[in-house]
Amino acid sequence: MELISKITLILDLTTFLLILGSTIVGVLIGALPGLSSGMAIALLLPFTIYLEPNQAIAAMAALYCGGTFGGSITAILINAPGAPPAAATAFDGFPMAQNGQAGKALGMAAVSSVIGGIISLIVLIIFAPTLAKIAYKFGPPEYFALAIFGLSMLASISSKSPVKNLIGGLIGLFVATIGVHLTTGISRFTFSIDELFEGVSFVPVLIGLFAMSEIFVQASKSELLLERIKFSAIKLPSITEFKNCGKTILRSTGIGTFIGILPAEGGTVSAMIGYNEARRWSKNKENFGKGEIEGVAAPEAANNSATGGAMIPTLALGIPGSATTAVILGGFQIHGLRAGPYLFEQQPDLLYTIFYGMLLANFIFLIFGLLGAKIFSRISLIPRGFLWPSVFVFCLVGSYGLSQSMVDVYIMLISGVVGFFLRRSGFSPAPIIMGIVLGQLVENSLAQSIIIFDQNLFMFFTRPIAMTFFILTFLSLFYKPIKNLFTERKRI
Amino acid sequence: MRGIIMIKKIQSLFLSFALIITSFIGLGQVTTIAIADDFPSKPIEVVTHAGLGGGTDTTARMLLIRTRKNLKNNAYITPKKGDGGNKAMSYVKSKPRDGHTVLAITPTHLFRMARGGAALNIDDFVGVARTTVDPIVIFVNAKSPYKTIEDLIKAGNKKPIKYGGTNVGSVDHISGLIFAREAKTKIAFVPFEGGGAIMTNLVGAQIDAAGLNLDEGKDQLESGELRVLAVMADERLSALPDTPTLKEKGINASFATVRGVVVLKGTPPETIAKLEKGFLKAMAHPVYQNYLTGAGLDASSVAGSAAWDAEIKKIYKEARAALVSLGLAK
Repeated sequence: MELISKITLILDLTTFLLILGSTIVGVLIGALPGLSSGMAIALLLPFTIYLEPNQAIAAMAALYCGGTFGGSITAILINAPGAPPAAATAFDGFPMAQNGQAGKALGMAAVSSVIGGIISLIVLIIFAPTLAKIAYKFGPPEYFALAIFGLSMLASISSKSPVKNLIGGLIGLFVATIGVHLTTGISRFTFSIDELFEGVSFVPVLIGLFAMSEIFVQASKSELLLERIKFSAIKLPSITEFKNCGKTILRSTGIGTFIGILPAEGGTVSAMIGYNEARRWSKNKENFGKGEIEGVAAPEAANNSATGGAMIPTLALGIPGSATTAVILGGFQIHGLRAGPYLFEQQPDLLYTIFYGMLLANFIFLIFGLLGAKIFSRISLIPRGFLWPSVFVFCLVGSYGLSQSMVDVYIMLISGVVGFFLRRSGFSPAPIIMGIVLGQLVENSLAQSIIIFDQNLFMFFTRPIAMTFFILTFLSLFYKPIKNLFTERKRI
Repeated sequence: MRGIIMIKKIQSLFLSFALIITSFIGLGQVTTIAIADDFPSKPIEVVTHAGLGGGTDTTARMLLIRTRKNLKNNAYITPKKGDGGNKAMSYVKSKPRDGHTVLAITPTHLFRMARGGAALNIDDFVGVARTTVDPIVIFVNAKSPYKTIEDLIKAGNKKPIKYGGTNVGSVDHISGLIFAREAKTKIAFVPFEGGGAIMTNLVGAQIDAAGLNLDEGKDQLESGELRVLAVMADERLSALPDTPTLKEKGINASFATVRGVVVLKGTPPETIAKLEKGFLKAMAHPVYQNYLTGAGLDASSVAGSAAWDAEIKKIYKEARAALVSLGLAK
């Protein structure tokens, strides 16, 4: 077995330490809101020229894996997703932490991340050249259908009232329209603010809606007596709990790997759809949004399997499968390397180094995550009066740091205030985030489809993949009413 | 009860501390007046208009690795995203003209200026060095019936060619429109989010043709999924010796994705000379040359102040004429 013998590639001390270091740096950077693994890799790129090309690329890939996992830590503990793919993790992860189950949430996040990550890597090493071609099959009409399928779950994404979920979704879709429109070049709701021309940055909105609004919620509670500290918070999940999430993890891994392969979408959409589907098939539907452990397993397995998925077109075709893999491709260029079909034929050593590097990264953050869960979960034991003011500083620095712009800080503060009032009136942030994540995709892909179809929308019927998604959407929306109709008839 | 009061006190202490930090973030920069002789007297700031990890950002970072050594000085990158480079231009405008602030310029900036209403004018800049040059190549799907550029032009006359490029108003868009006008054919422009998306949609036959940089479609060209029809340049590319230029075909449309660095006019000439020397030496170093090769670019990408300055002015003039003739600028 060539594959197994190649493990020696990462067994020398320098490479091993590099991967270890990059993974841990990745986890920490991923955990800090506003710092992303893509950004870290971009900043470290120039320094990697002093490394062997194989080591440099493996280190970047390891950092990518670590960063995707790291986002979940802050999402669970302080409701501030460290990176956009972890947004869905906060939906149930943070309520779990508040219920005194921080350790369980963190442990589940680590284990489901690793399972998702490793399965997607195995898919990568075996099927990459074949699966990468999926990227070519997905044109604007297919992306449009996929986005519609995602949006079809808007009404039921959280256990709050469906009408409020739909309104929240529309707010998200509206925010996504801000900026210069892709196909017409018209600027919408930019009010001549330069920073808004490229749209509202997602990270400040995310930090505002989740963490900042949470600070307001906590501040409004400060008159109450301090809660009793729950030491059970540092407990890890039991074997039964892992077993119960098995199906969810596998489903999410499939979703994440598939969506990861699509060049236009990555971990964030994977996690959202993974969460949606987990809720759809779960026995504990009502529990979602209130601290359901499946609601943590699903997005974490999905967003980490999307890292392996995203590497598939990146390595096999040279098309970045996500923002971070685009930066990794930049790393290839700096070292005078080329991704693409040649990599598999002519540079198998580089390929195996990346594979083993990412595999090792997964094991490192599993150990780091499980050992760390016991330590990190103590954050949820810190008295609120100390914890939340420091989170506030994180929010400010996190939203500023992204593009060093005060406008992003204002966006974060505004989202925080809006989020606070929306939450008080019974809205959940989940559909809003979903609307923002899918808003641009749904609009741009429709506009592009219309040009490609010569203004004839019936052409959608000529696209089998798109139609499959439309049919799934139809079934997910009307399955229940139709079923009810039939059961009622029987009764008569 | 006392415990709670204590906590509330500490809470307010934390809050005010956070507020103090915030107000510091917004504080203005310290400006120093430097004399040309002691340039560089402080770190050099390179202002980009694009996100981290993109082509502009990576090129600037690769350039700075050796520049730091050559100028015996530190250098860093400040990304100022927004309004097609206008945000970066207005930021540079606020800086002293002493060579410590350098703008990484691309056709995006030049087209933004040509549209009017930008913070700076083309005459406000002096070119220091060109860092990359990447002509736009017209690609089609290898399975398509278009074997030559004439086939494509003919087809466009019957039914507009679905022509992919990046956002509206970009060099891709304008070059496509000018090509159509000069070749007397029609295109329906399909904007995508980036080069990778354009390429996948071309291989997937969602669109008929696209203007891409050679590197963006190189793998698919070699694997036989794409075909090149023409190069939008004055001379043939060494990498594509058999591919005609549009100019040879009597179509006057030469466009390229160029990148380089400029400083504000009024910067002392000795300072510009020092910067130019530092940059050129850095770009001659294997570190930068390897990067160029990796990105599929030619060593001839690099050019000095005089040539680059003339080039940006020429591109601006052409961009302006093109935008006016297309009715996109007054």
